[in-house]
Amino acid sequence: MTVDYEAGLLALRGGRDVSFFDLTTIDALTEDDLSLIFSLARKFREGKTAKLGLCKGRSQVNAFFESSTRTQGSFDLAAKNLSMDTTNVGPGSSTKKGESFLDTIATLGAYNVSVIVIRAAEAGVPEMVARHVGAAIVNAGDGWHEHPTQALLDALTILDHFGSSDLTGRLVTIVGDAKHSRVFGSLVRILKKLRAEVRVAAAETLMPHSFERFGVSKYYDVEEALVGADVVYALRVQEERGARADIPTLREYSKTFGISERRLKLAKPNAILMHPGPVIRDIDVHSALVSRHPQSRILMQVENGMAVRKAILWLLAERYDKVRKQYVHL
Amino acid sequence: MSTLLITNGRVLDPCTGRDAVCDVFVKDGIIAAIGTNLDKAADEVLDATGFVVTPGLVDLQVHFREPGREDKETIETGSRACLAGGITSAVSMPNTEPVADSQSVIEFIQKRSRELGLINIFPAGSITKNQEGTMLSEMWELKRSGAVAVTDDGADVQDAGILLKAMEYAKTHDLLVMSHCETECLTGEGVIHEGWVSTQLGLPSTPEVAEDLAVAKNIMLSKRSGVRLHLLHNSTKGAIRAIRQAKQEGYRNITAEVSVQHFALTDEECLGYNTNTKMYPPLRSREHVEVVIGALKDGTIDAITTDHAPHIEPDKLKPFSEAAFGSVGVETSFAVMYTYLVLPGYLSLAEGIALMTYKPAAIIRKSKGTLAVGSDADVTIFDLNKVWNVDPERFYSKGKNSVFANKELTGKAICTIVGGQVKMRGGVVF
Repeated sequence: MTVDYEAGLLALRGGRDVSFFDLTTIDALTEDDLSLIFSLARKFREGKTAKLGLCKGRSQVNAFFESSTRTQGSFDLAAKNLSMDTTNVGPGSSTKKGESFLDTIATLGAYNVSVIVIRAAEAGVPEMVARHVGAAIVNAGDGWHEHPTQALLDALTILDHFGSSDLTGRLVTIVGDAKHSRVFGSLVRILKKLRAEVRVAAAETLMPHSFERFGVSKYYDVEEALVGADVVYALRVQEERGARADIPTLREYSKTFGISERRLKLAKPNAILMHPGPVIRDIDVHSALVSRHPQSRILMQVENGMAVRKAILWLLAERYDKVRKQYVHL
Repeated sequence: MSTLLITNGRVLDPCTGRDAVCDVFVKDGIIAAIGTNLDKAADEVLDATGFVVTPGLVDLQVHFREPGREDKETIETGSRACLAGGITSAVSMPNTEPVADSQSVIEFIQKRSRELGLINIFPAGSITKNQEGTMLSEMWELKRSGAVAVTDDGADVQDAGILLKAMEYAKTHDLLVMSHCETECLTGEGVIHEGWVSTQLGLPSTPEVAEDLAVAKNIMLSKRSGVRLHLLHNSTKGAIRAIRQAKQEGYRNITAEVSVQHFALTDEECLGYNTNTKMYPPLRSREHVEVVIGALKDGTIDAITTDHAPHIEPDKLKPFSEAAFGSVGVETSFAVMYTYLVLPGYLSLAEGIALMTYKPAAIIRKSKGTLAVGSDADVTIFDLNKVWNVDPERFYSKGKNSVFANKELTGKAICTIVGGQVKMRGGVVF
């Protein structure tokens, strides 16, 4: 059974590689990359937690310098399902002993693993590490910058709902803390690649400078922004990332931008509700909407996350073209 | 009693208005004569045919890091780096460890510089004790020991009340105040110019108004106090406008500088998270750079400096938001000025040299930066045709953190003379 399933995956991949060695930003993905990733992810999703030998003999380090339960668990399980050996390098440990960032990178490089998944509190860390080690780097979230696999699973969720391969003519309304959100950073990039129309509703203090240059429209009134939306995407107020001083209270945030049942009705009847998690119930999204509401895709996103990550890890760990990436030893 | 004859170079001295091919005769460390076909016997003759002979450059903002951070740079390595770049006089910044808030540090710097006999170092003391922005430093003592100015560079005195008192006190002793203009509560955690680039990079940013507000504050308080104020490293169109307006109103006590990176590069250099591009003020977007270049042309700006800021590699090889601020600059400043201002036609070579010689010297009231007969023989010879790739590994500076690394520049110093002594020849410092 599993043998057939694996054969199916190999046949679907058809000897193709992605155009990038490291997944640090959505900017690096071509349309061909996207369709390859999505088709493999759908196939992986069918197999649930089937144990596959596709990456047997390969190793992965999960370097989560900022703690995470969900994303770390998702990447770790995805790697193990592919038969990769994994280990975790976390915050505390050597950095508390005064190890310099320079040495942390060099140490990771010396493990000679195939893939390093990095989450950091500071933007640019995965990109900097990628310049100096031979492993394929996957950005699991860097500061306010990006969270590429999140955007991939979000895009997959939306495309599956509409049964299309791009989002021309679709309106996506994003609500919330765009300024501090790495989910926003990758999401807006992928939505524009897929040609969606994007609106962002938030207080001015939660909007990044000049962000209209992504090709999005800016709204202070969430209800105006929601009218006619195909997708309602709610972000979390990133208190730990600096949002605390940007709004007076979560109470006021909830009243002005929280997604309630009434507000959701302003969107199209078959619109879907999404959120990257964790949801602050009744602040970002009204509690009743979160899991059981028929329009909510929040749990689907999580399932797609696992599938997308398997696709990415397989594509980065095993290349058919045998090309090695260039990097500069420290 | 040593003599030196520099023959047949294009002698360019904006202070005296000279721009002609002629000879320069140096005797006992003084410019003794200038003219065509000077018939003088000399201990050494330098043939400057095809090269430009200018006064030695004067840089008002150099961090020598000594005392305290000799791992980053020392007075010796920094001085050698200056000589490699054709700089013969430099103002040392006081944010050392200990801070130059007392006569002992000032006297140490002068003693060290004298022992080395490399370049002229004019120390700046700090405005406040330990640069904490609360208690005034002993400015009379600092001046008496040799400080040419006071600055809290690296920080700005945030409390306007204390800044005003500091200015009034500095005025009492006729001491120049150099201000690093920054409104800390607006900069916050910002590490890059607030704009489209910072949004793409997802980095906390500092809005231009953080600089504009501080420049306005410093100008207003200096008007009120009457102190001589020199504004350090200006980078925004708001700052330029405020400076221009103050000068147009006839206010004479204010001077202003721009550091090389702020007329040459924009914040787009930061894409890719190269931490050598991280500095304060940050590299700004194109609209600001254009205004800065205009200000260099129209006299709003009086000096070009480097804000040479050496760092050790581990301090720069960090996440962008945590890396140290600053770039080195003394070995590339002439080339950057020539490549980014003169070659594109924004400024003439004479205008560029003026901003790096007699104009900065006048700000610190030193008779440097000129080749007038009778002045100190600090002379640099430049090859304007030299095209070179910036390789920080070859720097004399300990700091390899150059924002111009791997860029191709035109123009290089080939000989640097201080007090009539050749200290650098063909890129090699003695």
